[in-house]
Amino acid sequence: MPWQVAPLLPLAVTFAGGLVAAAWLPGAPLALLPAAALSLTGAIAALALGRDGAAGLLLLAAVVVLGALRPGPSLVTAEHVARLPLPVSLTVEGEIAAEPVRWAPDRARLLLDAMAFQDGGERKPLMGRVQLTVYGESIALGPGQRIMAEVRLHRPVGFRNPGAFDYPAHLRREGILVVGSARGDRLEAITPDDPPWPIRVKRWAVDTISRQLPPAAAGLLAGLLLGERATMPRDADEAFRRAGVYHVLAVSGFNVALLASCVFLTLSLLGLPRRPTAVVAGGALVAFALVVGGHPSVLRATVMGLGLLLAVLLDREPQLLNGIALAALLLLAWRPVDLWDPGFQLSFGATMGIILLAPPVTSFLTGRGWSRWLAAPIAVSLGAQLAVTPIMLGHFNQLSLIGVLANLAVVPLAGVATALGLVALLASLISEVGAELFFNALWLLLLLLRGAVRIAASLPAAMVHLPAPMLPATAGWYAALALLPWSASSRPARRGAVALALLAGALSAWPWLRPEDGRLRITFLDVGQGDTTLIELPGRRRILVDAGAAGPYRFDVGEHVVAPFLWNRPAGRLDVVALSHSDPDHSGGLRAVMRGLGVGEFWENGYWYAGSEAALRAVERSGAIRRILARGQRLWVGDALVTVLHPAGPMESENDLSLVLRLDWRGVSVLLTGDLARHGEAAVLERAEPVRALLLKVAHHGSRFSTGAAFLEASRPAFAVISAGARNPFRHPAPETLDRLAASGARVYRTDRDGAVIVETDGVTLSVTRWARGTTERFELDPERAPEGTKRTAERTAAPGDRGP
Amino acid sequence: MTLYSRPQLRLLLAVAATLLVGLAVRDWRAGFPEHAAYLDRFDQEPDPPPLPSPARHRSSPPIRPTSKRDALPPRDAARPRHASPGDDGIQPAGAPAPEPLDLNRASFEEIARLPGVGRGLAERIVDERRRRGGFESRDDLRHVLGLGPKKRAALRDLVTVARPAGTEVSMSPATVSPEMPAVTEK
Repeated sequence: MPWQVAPLLPLAVTFAGGLVAAAWLPGAPLALLPAAALSLTGAIAALALGRDGAAGLLLLAAVVVLGALRPGPSLVTAEHVARLPLPVSLTVEGEIAAEPVRWAPDRARLLLDAMAFQDGGERKPLMGRVQLTVYGESIALGPGQRIMAEVRLHRPVGFRNPGAFDYPAHLRREGILVVGSARGDRLEAITPDDPPWPIRVKRWAVDTISRQLPPAAAGLLAGLLLGERATMPRDADEAFRRAGVYHVLAVSGFNVALLASCVFLTLSLLGLPRRPTAVVAGGALVAFALVVGGHPSVLRATVMGLGLLLAVLLDREPQLLNGIALAALLLLAWRPVDLWDPGFQLSFGATMGIILLAPPVTSFLTGRGWSRWLAAPIAVSLGAQLAVTPIMLGHFNQLSLIGVLANLAVVPLAGVATALGLVALLASLISEVGAELFFNALWLLLLLLRGAVRIAASLPAAMVHLPAPMLPATAGWYAALALLPWSASSRPARRGAVALALLAGALSAWPWLRPEDGRLRITFLDVGQGDTTLIELPGRRRILVDAGAAGPYRFDVGEHVVAPFLWNRPAGRLDVVALSHSDPDHSGGLRAVMRGLGVGEFWENGYWYAGSEAALRAVERSGAIRRILARGQRLWVGDALVTVLHPAGPMESENDLSLVLRLDWRGVSVLLTGDLARHGEAAVLERAEPVRALLLKVAHHGSRFSTGAAFLEASRPAFAVISAGARNPFRHPAPETLDRLAASGARVYRTDRDGAVIVETDGVTLSVTRWARGTTERFELDPERAPEGTKRTAERTAAPGDRGP
Repeated sequence: MTLYSRPQLRLLLAVAATLLVGLAVRDWRAGFPEHAAYLDRFDQEPDPPPLPSPARHRSSPPIRPTSKRDALPPRDAARPRHASPGDDGIQPAGAPAPEPLDLNRASFEEIARLPGVGRGLAERIVDERRRRGGFESRDDLRHVLGLGPKKRAALRDLVTVARPAGTEVSMSPATVSPEMPAVTEK
């Protein structure tokens, strides 16, 4: 039984359980204090009475309560930056909290601990951490430096879609309640950039690497050695993900173990005795952890590595389970929020998988006549993969099918490259020429590594994207894994493991097998400033219209919002992707969508302009059938009819060339207008084509040059949806447009305020959900389609999380 | 009594071998800088060729899509997939002569399936086509890196450039494709 040799394991598990319970049951945590005291007293009493089992259980109960108490209330004092009248522009003085991350040539992310702000020439105290995006060139910045900055501050806003990553909650866990932006030339240093030595070492290492190696190889080595990911070329980064070997780029136990064993091996070969060697290796581990920074995976590996070295010093048998439990306890006591960090979960999950699953799998394989040299690496790789599968699916919707095999080639190569990189860096302290030779040998090795990754990543179905698993499925999966070590010897354990794994699989497959509700569902996604509309028809037919914004130095909405949203739905592919026009706020996300999902047909207006090169290339390579649509075409998708209303020929501006589509299904008509402007609207109205629609996607994010009175008069929508970003620089939607919509009698929904807007109908009733507000309105559709179109039956069905006005 | 123990020898030999390899690679890189630069970027896609900005192309679409129907032809299409006229001159009896592929309208996948043309070369052909706005004649293929005289001769009977791009692509109803039985045109 593992817990008899790892006494810390139950403590770590119960403490983490307490943290989870505290997150689920928010309330008065201080009321728990008596509970902790009570269970501890009980434990002491049980011990005195000689009931050791009960004492142990009561102790664990006390630990659960302690875990629940740990997060504590975060105090927002009167001087806190979150108390400012946000959004606000002001001059802030503060101290830089971490090394700035320069993720694009002219963008950097800065964590600033505010100290004071200027209020009409008066200096007032301020506190709290702010995350700033710095645009353009700036002075050299480093942690510990005090600066003065002109900033614009606001509350963080995520993309509020079903199943989406909750960015504000993530920032809140990091202690950041306010974010902002600043211009690089408006930053002033109060103290010079004088960072502590670990930061200096890291900067020196990155500089040396980029001086000695060409860019792509340097980016990869900086990732391998130091976990520096900002310099990785994007294609290489994607290839590592697809091949399922991304973990070698996150500084992890892999690097730490390698460093420790390199130091250990070298020193013992030089003839140093065992114990001093262990001390030196321990020092190297701590220094390495300080240099690469406090990622949970690094800290876990360092604590475990120090535990192993301590075992060497004390001549004890190392106990890995105890080591990992100690690491978990220390990390969670220090930073409880890390429990929700994907890096923490992946690091601990993979390590537990290796510790518990690799030995039985190895003995299983060697028992079948496999060579030990092949069985052990496969078992390690498989153990880690099995343990992290629900975590990878939950956070990233990714399941690498090639990973177990790819690791066999990639891990040894990456290991040698990491060791050689360390040697080369040390050599460059002594001699430039010697270092140059090492770096050249390393260049060849990195090429081999990239080649191996490239081959693995280019296999078809190297990676599949699946919805995030539900909690019961995850629980079933881990229960099956927990039974695995015993299933070689015990028949019931084997049967139980198989049954639980099947249960988890069946639960995950249920959304696909479930009968459909036969409704038309249209989701206007919250993609910030941009457009994305998903139309789901009965028969699992799906049409995606536009894919949100992306660009060279911009957040890729397609990759981080649209594709994950689609992956979380139980349907493998999109029947149609339609692009209204090639503007980057409509086409940018196409690259990720066309690469990440199977697409049957691609509909376009035939005009591609600068800014959409990457999207066009992705479309060309996708293998989707391309159709140029023009006015008058009618296409059936399932039992819905799509009519093309526009364009019919060249227009003055590219917005006026937008595809205008009308979708009709059981008497419900939906009008999608792209970025159509004045002239385009006139052209649409010129033709006698009916433009009446129940639901209108308001053109051009509600710009005042679109959605004219004549167009509204002709289309007479009962519902209008505006897709615009909160605080967008174009001030969309325009008040004039909102006035015109109000005058027309349409009910207006806005993604900037309502988050995703989800319209569902069966042809008789229609409901509209504002995702961010958690409200659903239900309407009965008038069969006669009177001008008002609808009769409301119920409004604002209160839903949990309703915080609308 | 040896000078070094076996593990020590192994380590020293590994270091010496690494240094030797480094020396060789350094000299090779200095001698063939273009090859080295190419190798260093082998797993990265080059930037796609730029598209025109909207201001310059008000009246005509700058990009005509390659074909109305970029669908993959069925696997057993009449065109032999690997035979080229230079092979042995023998066509299976009864098999129709391959219909030349119009490079101005062919899809990326179709081009990539031509004998001797892989995905990499097909990419460069498509990029060149987009850059020129369509090929005027087969001679334009000279400008595609990797299409030397031999390969062009081998492809001569397999490809045409029937219609210069930029002319109107007719809006005839698209065929129902086997992949998409659900989407039909009325």
